[in-house]
Amino acid sequence: MPEPVGSEPGGTAAGPGRVLVAVYAVFALAAGARAAVQVATRFAEAPVAYLLSALAAAVYVVATVGLARGGRGGRRTAVVACSVELAGVLVVGTLSLLDRAAFPDETVWSAFGRGYGFVPLVLPVLGLLWLRHQSEVAAEQEAAGTAPEDGPGRA
Amino acid sequence: MGAMTPFLVWSATAVAVLVALAGLASTLARRRIGLLHLAGAAVLEVLLVVQAVVAGAALAGGQRPPETATFTGYLAGVVLLPVAGVLWSRTEPSRWAGTVLAVASLVTAVMIWRLVQLWEAPGA
Repeated sequence: MPEPVGSEPGGTAAGPGRVLVAVYAVFALAAGARAAVQVATRFAEAPVAYLLSALAAAVYVVATVGLARGGRGGRRTAVVACSVELAGVLVVGTLSLLDRAAFPDETVWSAFGRGYGFVPLVLPVLGLLWLRHQSEVAAEQEAAGTAPEDGPGRA
Repeated sequence: MGAMTPFLVWSATAVAVLVALAGLASTLARRRIGLLHLAGAAVLEVLLVVQAVVAGAALAGGQRPPETATFTGYLAGVVLLPVAGVLWSRTEPSRWAGTVLAVASLVTAVMIWRLVQLWEAPGA
């Protein structure tokens, strides 16, 4: 049955957003577990790479929470997290190819996320597009006087 | 494959792929997920639990993959994943529920093969 557009409660965690949250949650777990093992067992081998690994995990957690919570605050948090993520995957991806010695072990962002089917490269772009779409929807609802999710928060 | 039983690995992979295809099909057909998806996810979960028990018994019996901590983490994660996927897709009232389930199932399939790799890894 066709889904009537716009009749659902909506928000960043509904519809396609729910898929996005699921993928982000998987990456938060995967990157978090990987970073935990790296930092706990062989931190001295490549401290910079492993700290970046932990940073990546933190960014995924923040993005997941921001997308799942939605609303104005959640969207803003998620936009920051996705932007950091995009910058991170580009910078770390480039560095890992230029200076292999500094990145002896695979991290989520190594070689632009090759070890994870390049999903880490695509994910922040999808996230930012989705968030832009969601703020447009929220702005329209606000203009129409039907903005239940955001409350009286200030921009 | 050691503690990763070929029958369980292959059948879990096949069921995971089927559930993923069923999920994507329901999204394409603009439908919500149905009993078929839940039954598939349940079968997958049973296979994973049996595999986890087999691998747990091997670990308890003294067999050790090179990275025991990572292996155990994956083993615990893979058992939780279909449950999380079903819960997260059940609360989605639109056609996208199927894609959520498909993502969870495909990640499950990948993790099963990571477990096989981790068990066979030559002391790395």
